[in-house]
Amino acid sequence: MSAASPDPLLELQQIGRRFGGLQALSEVSFSVQEGEIFGLIGPNGAGKTTLFNLLSGVTPASSGAIHWRGRSLQGLSPDRHNRLGIARTFQNLRLFTGLTVLDNVVAALHRHPQGSGLDALFNTPHFRRSQKELRQRAFDLLEELGLADQAHREAAGLAYGDRRRLEIARALATNPTLLLLDEPAAGMNPSEKEQLCALLSELRQRHDLTLLVIEHHVPLLMQLCHRLAVLDFGRLIALGTPEQIQRDPRVIEAYLGGST
Amino acid sequence: MIEAVLQTLLNGAASGGVYALVALGYTLIFSVLGVINFAQGALFSLGGYLTYLLLGGKIGVNGALPGLALPVGLPFWLALLLAALGSGLIGLAVERIAFAPLRRRNAEPLLSLITSLGAGVVLVNLLQMLMGAEGYAFPQGAAVVANLPESLLIGGARIRTIQVLLLLISAVAVAALSLWLERSRSGKAMRAVAEDATTATLLGIDSEAIVRLAFLFSGMLAGLGGGLIGMSVSLAGPYFGISYGLKGLAVLVLGGLGSVPGAIVGGLVMGLAEALIPAAASGWRDALAFAILFAVLVLRPSGLLGRRQLEKV
Amino acid sequence: MIDNGLLVQMILGALLGLSVYLPMAAGQLSLATPAFYAVGGTLAALLATQGSPQASISLGAVFGEMLLAAALTAGLALLVGLPVLRLRGIYLAIATIALVEIVRVAILNLPFTGGATGIFGIPQPFQQPFGYVLLSGGLLALCGWLCQRLEASRLGRSMAAIRDDELASRCMGIQTTRVKLTAFVASAVVAGITGVIAAHYLNTWNARQGSFDVAITTLAFVILGGSRSWLGPVVGGLLLTALPELLRPVGDLRLVLFGLVILLGPVFFPQGLITPALLERIGRWKP
Repeated sequence: MSAASPDPLLELQQIGRRFGGLQALSEVSFSVQEGEIFGLIGPNGAGKTTLFNLLSGVTPASSGAIHWRGRSLQGLSPDRHNRLGIARTFQNLRLFTGLTVLDNVVAALHRHPQGSGLDALFNTPHFRRSQKELRQRAFDLLEELGLADQAHREAAGLAYGDRRRLEIARALATNPTLLLLDEPAAGMNPSEKEQLCALLSELRQRHDLTLLVIEHHVPLLMQLCHRLAVLDFGRLIALGTPEQIQRDPRVIEAYLGGST
Repeated sequence: MIEAVLQTLLNGAASGGVYALVALGYTLIFSVLGVINFAQGALFSLGGYLTYLLLGGKIGVNGALPGLALPVGLPFWLALLLAALGSGLIGLAVERIAFAPLRRRNAEPLLSLITSLGAGVVLVNLLQMLMGAEGYAFPQGAAVVANLPESLLIGGARIRTIQVLLLLISAVAVAALSLWLERSRSGKAMRAVAEDATTATLLGIDSEAIVRLAFLFSGMLAGLGGGLIGMSVSLAGPYFGISYGLKGLAVLVLGGLGSVPGAIVGGLVMGLAEALIPAAASGWRDALAFAILFAVLVLRPSGLLGRRQLEKV
Repeated sequence: MIDNGLLVQMILGALLGLSVYLPMAAGQLSLATPAFYAVGGTLAALLATQGSPQASISLGAVFGEMLLAAALTAGLALLVGLPVLRLRGIYLAIATIALVEIVRVAILNLPFTGGATGIFGIPQPFQQPFGYVLLSGGLLALCGWLCQRLEASRLGRSMAAIRDDELASRCMGIQTTRVKLTAFVASAVVAGITGVIAAHYLNTWNARQGSFDVAITTLAFVILGGSRSWLGPVVGGLLLTALPELLRPVGDLRLVLFGLVILLGPVFFPQGLITPALLERIGRWKP
């Protein structure tokens, strides 16, 4: 990974976000290269999820600029962000709980070709074929995430770890370039975490993904990521390879000093 | 000239005060339960009819018991107070029947919208059965009942006494409510429940009792408003409260859902704005509240004094 | 007990139920249906009473009115929907109540809509109520079919996703504004066309046709019928429109009983009469 590469996929310049009197993020700058697995760590309340909300267009930045392939993302809605190739999962899980597991993915495959409105209206052979392909595509994604056998259950009935994986399947269905994963391993047991780690690397290869991962379980990130950024009280306090981060005195201070 | 201006402003402030009462009724319930009680307009009607009956008014020919009346009419302030209390108690019943069962089942909040509307339909139609669909004028001018002259001379301007009473009584009710919320133990408990019901319960506050209190007071405010408007204008059939209920809703949003000062300011703004509509366009007056509401919702969804709510992600 | 006249009213009720259901299927609690119903009815009343008074009107002219009403309500819904659909939950409900009241007061006060008494002598395309049964029944069948196809289509799935979680849907790239607006416009068009039929059937039209009461009852159609499929509001609309008529023998008590049904219905049937479980059973039974 060369940091000097001319056009980063994602570039944050002096990003700030203020909520009333609270400065949730201030002057955060870093860039993410295409194909990279980039980790984001920091104590609770450090501003990690806020940063994801800015990167997915859910909340606008108060200051600074975010560039996607050299183009400003300012003022674009979450759906525009997604269409540009940014997909995300949610820390507190926002599945479509009223739909089946399969339909969660099908709903997210809305850009998959499926005939015109008239085709849908008259249920033409073309429409039926496209629906079949659509469901097959959704099923394939579930297969990849190991959820195929639960395809027809209601999403609300899934086990916790499965829900996290369904969130990833649903985000993948939108065919992203950059996938923002907000604590994908939360609530998983050690062996599930291990599997998830392998799965993420695999998905990145197969779907040409760039990953930006928030995770509390630091060992997982150390193993998975090419580079890491550390946030503390809304500020970027360290940036580098896992080895660099592990040795950084400010990181040690933030983690040991902040957690007592 | 000055007389007309003063009277217009007073009219506006007086009806604004009543709007504030209705809106505060919504506010109390919204802040503890996060839902709107759509029976509020019916309770407003009820308050008007109860006041009428307690003042010694007769049931009309289309009612279930034509010609019937209380043996003695109560003094005006007592009638108003008892009518408000009666509406408050029915408000409590509405809570038991339309809200409590849904809350126990953790049902969708949307459902309580329907059940409270249903409660309102039941109430209004019961009133219609008993009192008929006809309008009622109060036995005597309320000002006379209160041993006051029909009009007062203030600063060289002659204005209707009842409007002054309306404004004063609403002001007293609003002040009493605010004071209660600020100072009393139960008032503080209500604010705690409004802030965070779960934490309040952990602190040992009986949130169910607070909810009942909110419905009682809310019904009383609506009933008081109905009695006041009935005295000042007359009762135009059992449905007359519905339009006040709807305007109260407009005021509620104008001031910001759940904000007490917002409801008061919103009520006054709405009342004054309506009063300033020229007589030639008076037919459009009822649309004004909603036009303002519409504009406010589109421009500033959190209302004039409401807190802006951000969705947690 | 159910004659053709009541049947027409029931079908019109079912159509209005569908109109409330459509935005709700996309998670939007809009009570604007009476406003668009009133606009459609007023348009028909005005157009049909132009020129010398006539007792009858050709069916073609009524279809023309329906097309115009569809265009007018669609335009109005686009105009209103863009700002209003940014609002959520109860705010949207209140904004649409405001719309209903504004339209009602406007129809009451405009110089050409007949004031409080309204417009009389709207000519009839049919001599018998049965003609209206066919016309409104045909429209209901058409709407039912469209809704059925909608549920199988991308638009319907996007609506369901938004209903479940709007923010997550946006982050999945679903153009929520466009989807919500489409549902809102469809709702307005159904209400507007229903208004046209109602104006002819009732023979007279006034501002009270589109009041807040109608917003309540039509919402009750959806909630009591069930809001998880288009069948719910249809069943709710048919039954609840018939109910006050069937209760006529109890006299003045009937509206109280009607209120009790609205009050207690959601307590005993929180998912409405047509529940997802029931639909599944129907679905399995289907060949």
